[in-house]
Amino acid sequence: MRLTPDDTTLRSEFADDPDMAGIVALFVRELPQRLAAMHAALSANDLEQVRVLAHQLKGAAGGYGYPKLGEAAALVDHAVKEGQQVNVIRSRVGMLAAVAARIRP
Amino acid sequence: MTPQSSPLPKVLAIDDSELIHRLLRVRLQHEQIELHGSMVAVRGLEMARELQPDVILLDIEMEGMDGFEVLQALKSDVDLQDIPVIFISATASMEDRVRALDLGAVDFVAKPFEVVELKARVRSALRVQHLVKMLAQKAQVDGLTGLWNRTYFDRRLSQEVSESIRHRRPLTLVMCDVDGFKKLNDERGHPFGDMVLERLAKILQSGRGSDIPCRYGGEEFGIILPNTSGSEALEVADRYRRAIEQETWPSAVGKVITASFGIADISVLPGTQGVDDLIAAADSALYKAKLNGRNRVEAANINQSTG
Repeated sequence: MRLTPDDTTLRSEFADDPDMAGIVALFVRELPQRLAAMHAALSANDLEQVRVLAHQLKGAAGGYGYPKLGEAAALVDHAVKEGQQVNVIRSRVGMLAAVAARIRP
Repeated sequence: MTPQSSPLPKVLAIDDSELIHRLLRVRLQHEQIELHGSMVAVRGLEMARELQPDVILLDIEMEGMDGFEVLQALKSDVDLQDIPVIFISATASMEDRVRALDLGAVDFVAKPFEVVELKARVRSALRVQHLVKMLAQKAQVDGLTGLWNRTYFDRRLSQEVSESIRHRRPLTLVMCDVDGFKKLNDERGHPFGDMVLERLAKILQSGRGSDIPCRYGGEEFGIILPNTSGSEALEVADRYRRAIEQETWPSAVGKVITASFGIADISVLPGTQGVDDLIAAADSALYKAKLNGRNRVEAANINQSTG
């Protein structure tokens, strides 16, 4: 799967579900911190931590109505699991960050 | 305590991601369940023991102890092994699913979950669990009287005896037998005898909430009284005795039906006592009550009696 550069915003599939509004907003608010933690782990060469953070995002993003974000996180998760080189992992984290930047509630 | 009562089913979610717990809380909020959660596998196992949930939602990939290990721990614990486990996982490889099912999981939900499917699978597991519990309970309930049956009585009494010894708490057993029951049956027919047993069961169920009345067999009842000394039990048994004596019988106006009681307090028996000693002591007290004229309460090894 390729992620092409795109600056359109990504809204939650559940944007119109009043039950979900609160936790979707919280998810979006916390997303920058999750990405920051992933970047920090990458800088510290703590690939296992990168994988754990990506894995959690992969499992949850779709549930919050952001399947594209989940797919991008899965690519990071797989790269670490497959033992890819750090530059590959870094580029996938970059792609994940690009998707994350487009996320809106 | 009598067979019955079913509060909201409990669902326990064990997943190391706060994001998933938030999602489950919202997605399952309209279900008729009580949702509990743990982000740490070991704590999840503790909670399973405390809560005895009806269904466990279990994540496979967790830090430290993973879902497979949690499942194995659940299945090797007699108190937890019958709780259905639904695996939830983002990495649903076929091998993982097969392994989970082989280890005893009942179902599998992939993350990210489709809400409708998640709810349907939880409901389905709850339905099965409800039936399993009902069957397990039915096997322990007496069909005629609705009291616990002999199977339950034996198991519960040995539990209570161990608890009583371990925590040095009082425990008294009351055995109760309908006076002249055979004659009643002969004179008025078995349907009347059955009705007498049903009424007596109602009377025994109307006592203190902590008493555990069981049908021991035939016209004999065993009532386990946890946390109750022999002297307290004398009063409790005598209340039952009087209630039975005062009962009126529409199809046999003026008829007085009575029962005799024998009680045994575990603390006044000599030496170390097992279940059988306690039953034997209560039984011989009951025999004494019969010999001394019926419709009375006699206690093993205490020089008190009423009636």
